[in-house]
Amino acid sequence: MRDHLLLFINGQRHEVSGRATFVSLSDYLRLHCGLIGTKIVCSEGDCGACTTLVGRPDFARGEFHYVPIDSCIQFLFQLDGTHVVTVEGLRRDGTLNSVQQAMVDCHGSQCGFCTPGFVMAMTGLLEEQETVDENELRTGLTGNLCRCTGYTPILEAGMKSNDAEHERLNELYPAAPLLAEFETLRNEPLALAAEWFGESHVAACPTTLAGALEFLAQHPTATIVAGATDIGVRINKSGRIPPAILDLNRIAELDHVGVGNEEITVGARATWTDILIAIANAPRVASRGKDHRLRPILSDLAEVNGHEVPEQAAPRRHRQDGLGEFARVIATFGARQIRNVGTIAGNIVNASPIADSLPFLYVMDAFIVIAGKDDMRVININDFYHGYKQTDLKPGELVMGVRIPRPKHDDLLRLYKVSRRRDLDISGFTAAVRMQLEGDAITQASIAFGAVGPTVLRAKQTERFLVGEPLTLETMQTAGDIAVSEVTPIDDVRGSAEYRRQLTRNVLLKFYHQTQGHLAPA
Amino acid sequence: MPSVGTTIPHDSAVGHVTGQAYYLDDVPSIAGELHVGFLPSPIACGALTGIDAAAARAIPGVVAVYTVADVPAHNMFGPLAADEPLLADGRLLYVGQPVAIVAAETREALHRGIAAVKLAYAEEPPLLSLEESIDQQRFLGVERRIARGGEIEAELAKAPHRLSGTFHIGGQEQFYLESQAAIAYPGEEGQMVVHSSTQNPTEIQTVVAEMLGVGFHDVVCVTKRMGGGFGGKETQAAIPAMMAALVARKTGRAARVIFDKDTDMCSTGKRHPYLVRWAVGFERDGRIHALKYEFFSNGGCSLDLSPSIMERTLLHADNAYYIPHADFRGRICFTNLPSNTAFRGFGGPQAMAATENIIESIAQHLALDAYDVRRANVYGVADRNVTPYGQIVEKNHLPEIFEQLAASSQYHARRAEIARRNASDPLTLRGLALTGMKFGISFTSKFLNQGNALVNLYTDGTVQVSTGGTEMGQGLNTKIRQMVADEFGLDPSRVRLMPTSTEKNNNTSPTAASASTDLNGAAAVQACQQIKRRLKKFAADRLSDKAEGLTPSPRHVVFAENVVYDRRRPEVRIAFGPLCDEARRERVDLGARGFFATPGIDFNRETGRGTPFFYYTQGAAAVEVAIDRFTGELTVARADLLIDIGRSINPGVDRGQIIGGFIQGMGWVTAEALEYNAQGALLSHSPTTYKIPAVTDVPIDFRLALFDNNDNVQNIRRSKAVGEPPLMLGIAAWTAVKNALSYANAEAATFLSLPATGEEILRCLSFQVPKHPGSPKTASHT
Ligand SMILES: Cc1cc2nc3c(=O)[nH]c(=O)nc-3n(C[C@H](O)[C@H](O)[C@H](O)COP(=O)(O)OP(=O)(O)OC[C@H]3O[C@@H](n4cnc5c(N)ncnc54)[C@H](O)[C@@H]3O)c2cc1C
Ligand code: FES
Ligand code: FES
Repeated sequence: MRDHLLLFINGQRHEVSGRATFVSLSDYLRLHCGLIGTKIVCSEGDCGACTTLVGRPDFARGEFHYVPIDSCIQFLFQLDGTHVVTVEGLRRDGTLNSVQQAMVDCHGSQCGFCTPGFVMAMTGLLEEQETVDENELRTGLTGNLCRCTGYTPILEAGMKSNDAEHERLNELYPAAPLLAEFETLRNEPLALAAEWFGESHVAACPTTLAGALEFLAQHPTATIVAGATDIGVRINKSGRIPPAILDLNRIAELDHVGVGNEEITVGARATWTDILIAIANAPRVASRGKDHRLRPILSDLAEVNGHEVPEQAAPRRHRQDGLGEFARVIATFGARQIRNVGTIAGNIVNASPIADSLPFLYVMDAFIVIAGKDDMRVININDFYHGYKQTDLKPGELVMGVRIPRPKHDDLLRLYKVSRRRDLDISGFTAAVRMQLEGDAITQASIAFGAVGPTVLRAKQTERFLVGEPLTLETMQTAGDIAVSEVTPIDDVRGSAEYRRQLTRNVLLKFYHQTQGHLAPA
Repeated sequence: MPSVGTTIPHDSAVGHVTGQAYYLDDVPSIAGELHVGFLPSPIACGALTGIDAAAARAIPGVVAVYTVADVPAHNMFGPLAADEPLLADGRLLYVGQPVAIVAAETREALHRGIAAVKLAYAEEPPLLSLEESIDQQRFLGVERRIARGGEIEAELAKAPHRLSGTFHIGGQEQFYLESQAAIAYPGEEGQMVVHSSTQNPTEIQTVVAEMLGVGFHDVVCVTKRMGGGFGGKETQAAIPAMMAALVARKTGRAARVIFDKDTDMCSTGKRHPYLVRWAVGFERDGRIHALKYEFFSNGGCSLDLSPSIMERTLLHADNAYYIPHADFRGRICFTNLPSNTAFRGFGGPQAMAATENIIESIAQHLALDAYDVRRANVYGVADRNVTPYGQIVEKNHLPEIFEQLAASSQYHARRAEIARRNASDPLTLRGLALTGMKFGISFTSKFLNQGNALVNLYTDGTVQVSTGGTEMGQGLNTKIRQMVADEFGLDPSRVRLMPTSTEKNNNTSPTAASASTDLNGAAAVQACQQIKRRLKKFAADRLSDKAEGLTPSPRHVVFAENVVYDRRRPEVRIAFGPLCDEARRERVDLGARGFFATPGIDFNRETGRGTPFFYYTQGAAAVEVAIDRFTGELTVARADLLIDIGRSINPGVDRGQIIGGFIQGMGWVTAEALEYNAQGALLSHSPTTYKIPAVTDVPIDFRLALFDNNDNVQNIRRSKAVGEPPLMLGIAAWTAVKNALSYANAEAATFLSLPATGEEILRCLSFQVPKHPGSPKTASHT
């Protein structure tokens, strides 16, 4: 057991122990290292001003894989064995990198407060691919807010940065010496501890599932941390760090994502980015650390994301099957910085009725795989929630992963996320509608709504009514009436109850119009 | 080569992209510096009966807790009337109001300290909505009015067509990325230096001095830069600055106040929500005969700048259109909310949106294309060119701008195409609108139209410039750098703009009203000219040559390309640096203070008549939107902007102002909604719930053109102000929604309020009873 963590920041070695292992990366950078180029606006992952690049070792390739993350909701205890690069570390000789130079030339900054975050996010894009096009820039920068420029000059800078030679971080910071040191520490679990204001705190960062379950057995109420995109916001806004933390970040066993013919299996540590890549590469099986080629999926998503009214354009190039629908929802999930760390398991266990993945998981009857110290069990997600923010997880248990039946090629499946802003916004309403038809008669219907009650709701009566009916506008109108009687929405900051009832009805009508083309004889 | 007119980078661009440009929270702490925050009022209205800070004081690291009893001199402050308390004094006025200041050694101790202060209060029902405030006649200040022509009811009655209605306009959070911040450093003999993220250093100097009970000469306010302001730091930087100064005075230690975003949004003012009652009478061709307005703005708990903002509303209710018979009245409503304040446009946007709404309504009523109605009403060049307040719209280019933009955006063809598609597309509803914009440049308070600048030359030929203008990203410093460089014929890199400080520039006006380049730039140029006069005299001697018969002649001395020469013998040149060095040795003064006061403007508040504006910035926007018929979700598909900003001083900077302003306006009219609960607490208090436009909201097809215009001769370098006007081009996104809804059914568009959020659009599409925007909500499920 190690009682400190080791990471590198802009090539410099940092051994951190005690209190500092519990602070956010942004606090560590700004307050401990004096690296004030990383800015703080919201402390909740919603503006990107604090974007930094985190390099995770890819031992097989002998390099770091750098991705942008929001440093305000990433904690030091999550970062053992990484190389963090901040805006101060993009060049070592005082010159500007290609993105920085382009931002200067294109008037990409006005007040400048958002600028380091944009520079880091764009540099991150260029770490993954040689060049970027405008759609990739748009989808790649949804995690960064700018109030001054109206973004256009920033997009222009992004395009211009294509023209210059871009020095990659793996060239700037040779990975070998860092990796050599990390290699020896790779399998060593961490036990971090500190005390302040008379309260004691522990954080365990095991490297095996067994180690994690062991710690949980001793600390059954420990707070489990995966990406910390939910937990981190809670910590920042309450100002309180939980007394016992179990961090899953170093458990390689939980990284798996597989897209099989029958089933999609996702480990608890797989991030949304991992899942997107796996879907893009399906039916091949991808896993973290192997294939980071985001490009194909990014350009597909750009098409969905960037323009027109999503979903309504004529046939899109990207996957038309149910997997494509799921990918479309993931593509507007948070933003890149969030998807690079956030997990599906975190989304499920956070148990929000507006979690974006849930309606899909509900209508697919996905299974959650749960592990405790002595046993493992599997539960249908439709049975997992007992009430608002209440799950079936018992103290000492954790979620190992999810098994999602793969949508069949003749499933009519549509997913809906309605939010105030298309990108980087929490849903005001979600829905999933899945049907099987024989001729024009509905033989199977699964419908789930989110943000209309304390948990995601399976619209059982509506489903029962639909089976046997023809898929017509009239049928869907009646289904809408039934569905509205099943939901119990409230007025809140993201929408009124009336709006949500209207949406409940309307998505069923929209589903009808959207699927018309699919029914027409070829 | 002159620098003015060319695109040089923002003067801090390299600092921005490398993260080296510092903002207040980036300044290293000095020994003993304290972290300062405050306990906000948990209720919107009531009597404060007790503050118990004993537990807070007992927390290790908490140094002090201060209440109103600890304020050294004046607790009340305000730009127009001292009617706002720094710390609650008996009454609680809004949720988020500062009640007690806590100072601590660490941030953690500060947060724990704030949480440990206990309040006792007697809660009363708050006044939150405009309707209630109007019903109860709870107004702030007096009614303002601008009118001309006949008695308005009689004129309305004369018109062949009449419409009337009530229009609800939502507020808008400035959402500068750097939240309010200040650091105070105590000095000798009661002096105080306050570093503030403010658009108005003189105001900070004043309120801090008054709060401390010292002379203005004992307080210096310094502003290096802001991470955005947009009006939100014109008056409202005062509270954090006073808090820091109070702690610094009491403890003798430096004190730092950095609001977090939630605190900032909950406790500071925003763009005023408006309720607008209107009645219009018009001809068969859509020409307006008479227009009656009653504007009610939600002022919040104190005056702040609300009267000036309402004044600008009344002065912009005509927007781009000639109104023969006008009666515009405005009242400011008291509510239990943070005092609403300046935001880019300053009351102009609400008025212009109201008028564009009426034009759309007229068009829909008469089944005319709204463009034709606008063209029928637009200000004329030779006639129909006098505003309701009596100022002539001189050098009016609006008719040309309308026509050019209609042609370049293919407005008519696209409208036809949209009508065709809307008739058959079951999923998407489209709309297109082309709106005009005319924005008056100058502070409507005459005395503010002045600027001063300090220019210092050094003996290596480099220059430092200090003005009363502050840099918040708008590129003021870059433009002044270019103007000063041109005066001395220098490369701009030899000119450095220094932090704004009341020590160097006294009695300054806020950096606001889009006029900061006009005022401070002109003052800087005026200072340069004084120095040049002296330098020319000196150089003329140095360049003269008795033997060659070249007598000293200052008027032949030229400053260009970093050298100085006599135009009659250009081959003999002295480098600028050595010339400065020599001049100093000959005891020539190489520094000057410049001053500028805008000529020819005057406005009489009582009569509502005069010439309040030096000139107008004009433009138009054509925006196309697409709406999901089932969810109300909106996409701004295309925007074409055409704007007259005279001769641009820095096209790169100006383009950024135009695009940024447009997107900000688009956000206001489509997406940015302030949601409160029934107790008056803001629920949308961070970017999680308050949605400013993101990069994917920028129209994919976005075209910007500058209207070619060289006739703004009265202003500095023939330029025109560009800061605020583009925001109002964003209104076209809203009118485009209104246009789209009109295709759905006749009444869908009638009740559309602003902003046109997805929910609002769907409400109109589903044709429900209008709900007042801002009706209370509960906190959310996350
Ligand atoms: C800016 C921003 C945008 C967001 N956008 C979206 C969005 O568009 N849609 C959406 O649905 N959500 C969104 N979220 C919420 C969040 O990102 C997701 O819920 C995410 O999937 C959570 O994953 P995580 O790994 O970060 O969870 P964490 O924060 O690490 O954990 C979340 C919860 O799950 C528990 N947990 C995590 N892993 C396990 C495990 N294996 N076993 C047991 N318990 C576990 C934790 O204890 C905690 O209670 C957003 C969040 C932010 C900050
Ligand atoms: S500070 Fe806003 S995302 Fe981190
Ligand atoms: S430049 Fe000011 S927020 Fe982006």
